[in-house]
Amino acid sequence: MRVLVTGATSLLGATVATSLARRGDDVTCLQRRPSDTGLRDVSADITDADAVRRAADGHDAIVHLAALVAPRARWQRFVDVNIGGSANVVAAAAGCGRLVHISTPSVAFDNSPAMGPDAEPARYSGRDGYARSKAIAERMVLSTSIVPTVVLRPHLVWGPGDTQLVGRIVDRAVAGRLALPRGGAALVDSTYVTDAADAIVAGLDATADAGHRAVGRAWVVSGGEPRPVRDLVASILIAAGVEPSWRSTPGMVASIAGAVVGAAWPGSEPPLTHFAARQLTVAHWFDQRQACEALGWEPAVGLDAGFVELARWFAEHPR
Amino acid sequence: MIAQAHGPTAAQMRDWGLDPTWSRLVDFTTSDGTAVRWHILDNGADPVRGTLVCTHGNPTWSYIWKDFVAQAPAGWRVVAVDQTGMGFSGRGTPRILAERISELVAFVRQHTAGPVVMAAHDWGGPVTIGAAAQLDCRALVLTNTAVGLPDGVRMPPLIALARSAATFGCERTPAFVGGTARMTDPVHRDALRAPYRGRERRHAVAEFVADIPVGPADRSWITLQQVARDLDSVTYPVLLAWGGRDPVFHHRFLADLVDRVPQAQIQVFPAAAHLVTLDAPVADVAWTWLLDTVPDLGESALPAGERPDTGGEPVTAKDQGSLTASPPASSPPASSPPASSPPASSTSAAGFASVTSGLVDRSTDTSVAYRGPGGTRSWQQLFDHAHHIASRLVADGLTPGDRVALLVPPSADCLAAAYGIWLAGGVVVAVDAQIGLRPMRRLMRAATVQWAIGTSRTTRLARVVGLTPGARHMVVPAAPGHVDSGQAHRDEAHRDEARSDQALPTLHPEAPAAVVHTSGATGPAKPVVYTHGALAAQRDVVLGQFPMGAFTTSFAPFTLVGPALGLTCSLPADVTPGALDFDAFVAASADTTTAWLSPAAAQRVVDTAGGRSVPMQLIMLAGAPVPPELVSAVETITGADVRAPYGMTEAMPLTDGTTPAATGPYGGTCTGRPLDGVDIVITDVDDPGKLSTTWGEILVSAAWMRAGYDRRWGLTRDATVAIDGTMFHRTGDVGYLDADGRLFQLGRVVHLITPAAGPLPCVVPEHEVLAATGQSVAAVGVGPAGTQALVVVVDADANLALADLATTAAVRAACSAPVAAVLTGRLPVDIRHRTKVDRVALAASAAGLLAGR
Repeated sequence: MRVLVTGATSLLGATVATSLARRGDDVTCLQRRPSDTGLRDVSADITDADAVRRAADGHDAIVHLAALVAPRARWQRFVDVNIGGSANVVAAAAGCGRLVHISTPSVAFDNSPAMGPDAEPARYSGRDGYARSKAIAERMVLSTSIVPTVVLRPHLVWGPGDTQLVGRIVDRAVAGRLALPRGGAALVDSTYVTDAADAIVAGLDATADAGHRAVGRAWVVSGGEPRPVRDLVASILIAAGVEPSWRSTPGMVASIAGAVVGAAWPGSEPPLTHFAARQLTVAHWFDQRQACEALGWEPAVGLDAGFVELARWFAEHPR
Repeated sequence: MIAQAHGPTAAQMRDWGLDPTWSRLVDFTTSDGTAVRWHILDNGADPVRGTLVCTHGNPTWSYIWKDFVAQAPAGWRVVAVDQTGMGFSGRGTPRILAERISELVAFVRQHTAGPVVMAAHDWGGPVTIGAAAQLDCRALVLTNTAVGLPDGVRMPPLIALARSAATFGCERTPAFVGGTARMTDPVHRDALRAPYRGRERRHAVAEFVADIPVGPADRSWITLQQVARDLDSVTYPVLLAWGGRDPVFHHRFLADLVDRVPQAQIQVFPAAAHLVTLDAPVADVAWTWLLDTVPDLGESALPAGERPDTGGEPVTAKDQGSLTASPPASSPPASSPPASSPPASSTSAAGFASVTSGLVDRSTDTSVAYRGPGGTRSWQQLFDHAHHIASRLVADGLTPGDRVALLVPPSADCLAAAYGIWLAGGVVVAVDAQIGLRPMRRLMRAATVQWAIGTSRTTRLARVVGLTPGARHMVVPAAPGHVDSGQAHRDEAHRDEARSDQALPTLHPEAPAAVVHTSGATGPAKPVVYTHGALAAQRDVVLGQFPMGAFTTSFAPFTLVGPALGLTCSLPADVTPGALDFDAFVAASADTTTAWLSPAAAQRVVDTAGGRSVPMQLIMLAGAPVPPELVSAVETITGADVRAPYGMTEAMPLTDGTTPAATGPYGGTCTGRPLDGVDIVITDVDDPGKLSTTWGEILVSAAWMRAGYDRRWGLTRDATVAIDGTMFHRTGDVGYLDADGRLFQLGRVVHLITPAAGPLPCVVPEHEVLAATGQSVAAVGVGPAGTQALVVVVDADANLALADLATTAAVRAACSAPVAAVLTGRLPVDIRHRTKVDRVALAASAAGLLAGR
């Protein structure tokens, strides 16, 4: 099968692309700069509809991971990349035949704890541009795609080489700037990167059959092993060889401080946005039974084996 | 005269949780030609199976029946009426009781077809009972109502107040309506007040109160007398559904109705107040009861030929394989006196040896029967004393089946009083004072005892705190010719006279013998009814299947078994929980070979032994599951055969309690093999009708099982399952039978943790952590059933918080199931079993912390 993977510069995108290639699929990667996958690369901007259509030409399916994941970009950028880019992919996929769209559980985040629900409809209406644009994109994809489509929402993906979650936590801890809302008691789910990639591959295979149970709706994908935020952070730091230490901030303070800092922080990367602070303050973990059954997938590695892999990676890549 | 009648608006209906299509205005004419317009709630269903007519009291309206309408099963029409001048019905001239009855009769005749079943609340009760006598009524559901004042009960103070100030309190001010609305959840207040806004709309509220007759001079007195006679002659099924916290129609009004309708089935909702249908799931229970009890009325509801061919499933039959939903388990009759009262020489029905026979058989034996607080008693002394008490009770008017509160602290007198009550044919009602005064008072009031027997101090206390309202109080009379040495020889003539002064009744196996209460470890304490047959069977199984001898016990109620067994029993001098240490045990057990201990007491004896030993032959540990380590420790210091049989307040013992250290495929505590005469089945935890081939809820059946929960028809039904014609008790425990037929206990169903990987009894991770780390922990599930996260809480004297990283890692490593979070904190324990952790409360706290709210 010839598969176009968008956004293969991210850890998850690269892992999906190499997983597909390893099992014998013919994989093309599309992103603005070359990926490190060693696979066929097409350099293009996802907002360029013609470029996307040309890149998709001759492929059987698209796996769409490319997205703007910035805590504080202008809303128009989110619209262009996350909504417009997805629209370009939907149009291109119409000529290929199958589509897997990668969304996020944040599209259904409503500031309150989510303890064990199934995937709720995408309806984020808060101030966070990323979550709002991804919610609009998900609804748009599900309502406009004319080919068999699966939407997956991998939750809090991490793994060796991850710069998003793992990198930031380690950097902050080393700098003595790591703060955990309410001591990190909130129970959260997370997903080891190859487990998430396996789910995406399973989703892609489900699109072979237009009548497949998984097709036509969104599924939350997570490791199914919720842990307190503090335990996840501690495990990551231990794997990185960093002494686990942090400050605890009251949840409300973290939330307000996040809002203030997010608005006033110079540069593009505030230490804590309102949205991130809120997400790390309240529980969010999910009922995976339906997703596992529908996708015919379950996490193969899990948290503890994942942390062993992470430690091995840090040993090979000293900071 | 018809005043303006108009129903509530659709928007109001929706606000109040009512379907706007239910609201209707109907016109009809009474037998004396009066035209009436009523507002009713009517689900409008084709009454293929029957019609239920619901009548409210004062000052409410049909709103209180909304759950009955909403939950109507297919084929049932439900009509809840607003009486004239009330709710949204027309405001007319004042109505007296007789007129209200004839209006309801006329309504039913003109607006329903075929036979009906009826439900009523408050003063809607007399109206409904009076109407039912003139209609083809097939069943009656009565909720917190009365047909008069029970003997010795004064008019409820609230009604008396409202009546004496009827115009002022009920009409000119909204106080009576508002006061009634305040008795329930605020969510109902607007709906309850809405029809009574404005003085002119409250005339009937005042008239209704003024019409309540209290004496022959009142105009409705004769009608109410007739209504009471009508109720007394009811032969069809009656359900009394009662709010236990009603300050107006309290438990004694219920007891009065029970006396009038002995066949009634009873469901008390202990936490509900006067507006019981709004406070409690009455509709659930009532519909279940109606479908169980009332044959399909459809056949006769419609004329032949008009009956629709439903082809649906029958209403009452719920056959599903070999297991069926239980037929209605009747609450044992509160007062079904044994038929005859032969002379004292025979105290048991032919062929039936009641628990009193162990004492009667040894009535001339001068050896020791009891040793402990209150001194030592010989069998002869104990019998004489019990007989003396029985004679006094009978002489004072106790009739068989009367309930007697046992308020005597553990002592020789307590034993004599209990057996005296039984000899007299009374029902012993016992509440453990350890649970505290308030819960004790609630349970005792709910039991509506006719008698209370205690010391001068406890009977005085009972009167002062209102423990046993309406009961006749008796101070335990002194033992006749009692001499402490236990060697008294008294004049034979005097004894013969004492024994024959009252004829004592025959005890029948099916007659109720005792109402005892569960510990309340999982939810509120429940009243359990035992028959004489069950108590006798319990005696026989203990004697026949355990090598019992003279025994010592740490738990005072177990002394009651002594005389029944014909075994000497010994109670330590100090019976307060936790008082029994090794030395006290040695002193108490001097002349006994057997001990019957709670696990907590056994643990304390072990802990204080200090390397000493005390030889015994048999130790029974009641209150499984007992840790195998405790069993072996007790074996070590006593050299005894130590048994921890499975059992509970509702049925004990059930297994032989052997091989406690045995291991089984799903872990848990081994309780040994079922005793002869015990049936045990394991069913699916979500469906008691489905047998489980692995583990599941434990269902038990034995001749010495409880008869039911007192005045809890619904609870009894839920806890009872019929399998191949045998009644089983649902224990609420999780367990399994191994290949050798041994029963293993895995904890409570409510403590089951349900991750996506499959249900996990809390004891499994708890034992794993204890074994690996020595830490005492509680395991709970957090999140929705079926996808729960396993949380382990390590016992520590601190507020609930995340455990440190080292502890977290150790606990995770010890558990075979994935652990989501490890916390430290105080483990909440329930009131009575200091050893039982309240995991339900703990799970709620843990969920709160981990939610990050």
